[in-house]
Amino acid sequence: MLRDPDVRRRLLFGALIVTSLVLLTAFFREPATGALHGLQRGTLGYLTPLQSTATRAIEPFQEGYRWADDLLEAHSRNEDLQSELEGLRGRVVQLEEADQENQRLKELLDFREAPIFPAGSEFVVARVIGRSPTRWQEWVHIDKGSADGLKLNQPVVGATNATGDSLSGKGLVGKVVGVSDHAAQIQLITDPESSVAALIQQSRARGIVVVPEAGRLVMDYVERDQRVEAKQIVETSGFGEVYPKGIPVGVVQTVGEEDVNVYKQIEIRPFVDFGVLEEVMVVISPAVPKADESQMKTLTPADEPVATP
Amino acid sequence: MTSALRIPDGVRLGGMLLVAVAVQAVVTSRVLVLGVSADLFLVLAVLVALGRGSTKGALFGFGAGLLADIIYLEPVGLRTFIYLMLGYGVGRYSEILGVASAWTVVLLTAVSAFSAELVYGLFQVLAGQPGSFWAMLQQQVLPAALLDALVAAPLYLGLVRLGMLDPPGGAGPSFK
Repeated sequence: MLRDPDVRRRLLFGALIVTSLVLLTAFFREPATGALHGLQRGTLGYLTPLQSTATRAIEPFQEGYRWADDLLEAHSRNEDLQSELEGLRGRVVQLEEADQENQRLKELLDFREAPIFPAGSEFVVARVIGRSPTRWQEWVHIDKGSADGLKLNQPVVGATNATGDSLSGKGLVGKVVGVSDHAAQIQLITDPESSVAALIQQSRARGIVVVPEAGRLVMDYVERDQRVEAKQIVETSGFGEVYPKGIPVGVVQTVGEEDVNVYKQIEIRPFVDFGVLEEVMVVISPAVPKADESQMKTLTPADEPVATP
Repeated sequence: MTSALRIPDGVRLGGMLLVAVAVQAVVTSRVLVLGVSADLFLVLAVLVALGRGSTKGALFGFGAGLLADIIYLEPVGLRTFIYLMLGYGVGRYSEILGVASAWTVVLLTAVSAFSAELVYGLFQVLAGQPGSFWAMLQQQVLPAALLDALVAAPLYLGLVRLGMLDPPGGAGPSFK
């Protein structure tokens, strides 16, 4: 029977199974000082020097592997950080933009608290969404219109960063000259067709702020015997029924006189920096002057604001 | 006339096992892939069983498992039993169906490693070892099966190149 290979194979297999189970049972039944446990400890004792030597031998390779792994990880981390940095930069730009906008709006809110405007005045804050494409006209489009209570000839003020001699950057911007439901056109005081009745705050000398040529703001019609000096403040006089009295317009820069001219030539610089104007505030006075219906200008599609950068 | 020095088969297998002990203890156990290290004892037991059949496969599995138990400081007899069963089962498979290709080796090693790790895990759970069996299935059993199968491929090809194993689809699953 034992000569049959199948029987031998099965017997051997059975014997090995029994042996392994006996070993397993003996291992769990014997104390920690038993033979099998001792065999493990002894083997470990033989292997430990081998492992120690091998550890030292392969240490440089392991270091090299770790170095390469760290390098790859650092590279990957660098890419992640670069991506994160770009995202944060974008976020910082957004936050700075929001901060500046908040600052400007705060300036506008401070401006409306000034005791300049007639009691009961209401204010509509609007965003500048378009500008005149040429210097022949100086106007801006804003994103508020008749639906927000805007009408023709309402004064518009603004607040920008203070520039040089200016007090605060807060001052007169212009007036509403065109209005549609949700947009309006504002003629700036730097427009060649603009004229603002004004006075010198210190001397109370009256005149009219006009634009003789693009880029120049001049207070005209001031008698030569009036005392006017540089750095004096020009504000609206309240004449003309468009602008309330006392809105800051600008600062006197130079004062000139000509023999052939009965009026002084007073160059002024506006408080508002129109180049960076982004928000304005339309003043809705309780007694808004009645606009001449024949002069009412309704914005046509061509007049609709075109957003500019 | 010279006759080639013929080394007894048992000596060759024993030598292979000792080399496996050294490599496993010194190198393989230090290289972690997917959080686990390859088990050369198991892989060699499968390869020997494929090449030598069920009897020698069972003997080699018994010896490899016993050495693994001793080296890993685990309950002596546990891996002995598991690898013995694997060696016998894989050997019977090769005796009946043969080794069609190297992919058969890889697949059989993966299945064997999965089964071995599964039985070992179940024993640990039954022995009251803390930890989730399903977590171990994901963290140990599946990665170990995958890694052992990956290790089996080059090892098998290396043994074929050394002339210790017939190439797949050859005359038979026997070592030269």
